[in-house]
Amino acid sequence: MTDRTTVDTIARETVEGLTARLSEPSWLSESRMRAWEAYFQAPMPTDRDEGWRGTDVGAIDLSKLKTYTLSKTVQCEKPLLPNWFETALKHFPNRGGVLFQSTSSDCSFNLNAELASKGVIFCDIQTAIEKHTDKIRPYLEAAGNSVEEGKLSLLAKALFNCGLFLYVPRGVEIDVPLFYGINLDDVLAGGALMPRLLVVAEDNSKASLAYSVGSERGEASGPLSLLSQYAEVHVKPGARVTFLELQQYPDSVFMVNRSNCLVDRDGRYEALTLALGGRQTKSDIATALRAPGASSEILGIVLGDEGQKFSFNTIQDHAASDTKSDINFRVALKDSSASTYQGIVRVAKVAQRTDAYQSNKNLLLSAKAKADSIPKLEILADDVKCAHGATVGPVDREQIFYLMSRGLNETVAEELIVLGFFRQVLEKFNFPYAVNWLGEEVSRKILGANDSENVAAFFQDAE
Amino acid sequence: MSKTPILVIKDLHVEVEGKEILKGVNLTVNAGEIHALMGRNGSGKSTLSYTLMGHPRYHVTKGEISYKGQDLLSMSTDERSRSGMYLAFQYPVAIPGVSVSNFLRATVKARRGKDVPVKEFRKELKECMAKLGVKDEFLSRYVNDGFSGGEKKRLEILQMALLKPDMALLDETDSGLDIDALRTVAEGINALSTKDNGMLLITHYQRMLDYVTPTFVHVMQSGQIVKSGGSELAHELEAQGYDWVTKEHASTATV
Ligand SMILES: Nc1ncnc2c1ncn2[C@@H]1O[C@H](COP(=O)(O)OP(=O)(O)O)[C@@H](O)[C@H]1O
Ligand SMILES: [Mg+2]
Repeated sequence: MTDRTTVDTIARETVEGLTARLSEPSWLSESRMRAWEAYFQAPMPTDRDEGWRGTDVGAIDLSKLKTYTLSKTVQCEKPLLPNWFETALKHFPNRGGVLFQSTSSDCSFNLNAELASKGVIFCDIQTAIEKHTDKIRPYLEAAGNSVEEGKLSLLAKALFNCGLFLYVPRGVEIDVPLFYGINLDDVLAGGALMPRLLVVAEDNSKASLAYSVGSERGEASGPLSLLSQYAEVHVKPGARVTFLELQQYPDSVFMVNRSNCLVDRDGRYEALTLALGGRQTKSDIATALRAPGASSEILGIVLGDEGQKFSFNTIQDHAASDTKSDINFRVALKDSSASTYQGIVRVAKVAQRTDAYQSNKNLLLSAKAKADSIPKLEILADDVKCAHGATVGPVDREQIFYLMSRGLNETVAEELIVLGFFRQVLEKFNFPYAVNWLGEEVSRKILGANDSENVAAFFQDAE
Repeated sequence: MSKTPILVIKDLHVEVEGKEILKGVNLTVNAGEIHALMGRNGSGKSTLSYTLMGHPRYHVTKGEISYKGQDLLSMSTDERSRSGMYLAFQYPVAIPGVSVSNFLRATVKARRGKDVPVKEFRKELKECMAKLGVKDEFLSRYVNDGFSGGEKKRLEILQMALLKPDMALLDETDSGLDIDALRTVAEGINALSTKDNGMLLITHYQRMLDYVTPTFVHVMQSGQIVKSGGSELAHELEAQGYDWVTKEHASTATV
């Protein structure tokens, strides 16, 4: 059940066509149209724009991309999953639900019956629009479309063709993680995939979600494909949401990602992105702490090789007093890979007793690798604790010498140091078993698939 | 009884950042011998130990070093280690994020050239740890990260026990230790000294030598070994201080 159209240019008709094909209600097509209008107004970014520095945005030709509509999902006991997704899931002994979408097969999901009976909604976004209209409509209608979000994120809002809705009712605490995966396979070679994720955690609820768009194919030649994602997370008073994303794409994929998280009074948001890259990835992670007691922890691990490019922007808004944020991004770059990190921290005048911390460390593993780190602090309140730090440089020679003096060759020594560098961030992340999964992915990329024993061993020692 | 030389250093000159630090060191360590190398701070002891381990900052400008009959200077640092050279660092660096257990397993694998089964390795490790009074919680900590001086030194000795070196260089492993720790470390050193390996204990106190009896004692000064003797030399130094050697050396030098 797939639907495919060639788009010459992304015109108003494209949005109208999509919404007609999907027989969407008018409130939704109007909401898509508002996003399209903002998209139309927004300038196409160039690599001279802030936040796009170092990216290769000129390589995307919007007029040549094919868009797809992914099939809706059906509920089933044992969803049929591709290998890469199974491999991820096997690390998690307990799961609350799994949702998987692709163009090619019937897509499916399951949700723990107990959670369903408590009113938890976990389904693809099209199904939610049909069956849970009252829950999802207010959020889709209210979503602002600021030019600041950037042209390509607005495009994802206008043309989203797959996605997720997770709704956790008041007071419901989900202790087992939920998983959402999308298959890229058919979208490769000139396609565009635009997922939209919406997470709503009502008062005093709790949930954790892991998300990944992947493919069986590591290599892909041919035209660039675009993955443009938009995610919105609402953490209501006293709620706790943990979000984990693995970004690992074939090398013909250009990924653009915007996430907006809104945290209310005493709410907590924790997110970790493991970025192993594609041709190029660009992520904006915006967190607004909107009421006293709100807090967030935004973690990132970036490992690049060959000619991969990464750009991460964190936008941390302290809009109320007594809010706390902690941002920690670690980047290691091999070959001629490159990364730009920009960390914006805004503290509003009313946001007294803000506690904001931002750290970005970059290890250059080759003379050709490049990293930029740009902290930006806009602090209007006068009683704040705000610390930030950035480092860029090669691996410490004394650490290498120490390990070599214990018989490790230089390559192994460096790999061990890099794994340790990442592990410090992974261990901060409060998501049971995630360290095993992510650790394995990181190790595989650093050590190569043939060193399978060490791949499994490094992150699972302590007894 | 013929002696088997492990380490033979001849007329070694070493420069750091263009400055000559070692100015003609001669030293032979035979199997079964423990040599103590003493001398004031700044006399060049650590420079010798780093040079023996192949630190890239230390440039040998003259002289030769033979180790177990091979040309040491043509070997890389990791090759030296795998063939049994071991340096217990005066100031070991921290490697955050790498747990002691992962680290030890990697080093043992490198030294033995093959992986040791996890169970076997654990057993061996626990035995060594028990002997050296190292607590279990050590294993899950990051290498040297936030360790006290004494903890760092114990980890150096623990590694030595696992790697079973043919030639061990211990650079001020005694400093920063309280008397109990010193005794444990010294027992470790005595237990690891065999008839087949050689040891070079670098120290500037005589304290350690109350527990470990060296075969020979050498005094280094301004990048040269200026006096050598038996274990009694350490006691003379204790009683008379380094000035005594300095004067004696000055007078012989002018002859
Ligand atoms: N990395 C270095 N850079 C510059 N000078 C050094 C370095 N290492 C040692 N030196 C100099 O070499 C001399 C000997 O130092 P060292 O070998 O550390 O002595 P010891 O271990 O006997 O205290 C000192 O004058 C010291 O300043
Ligand atoms: Mg020294």
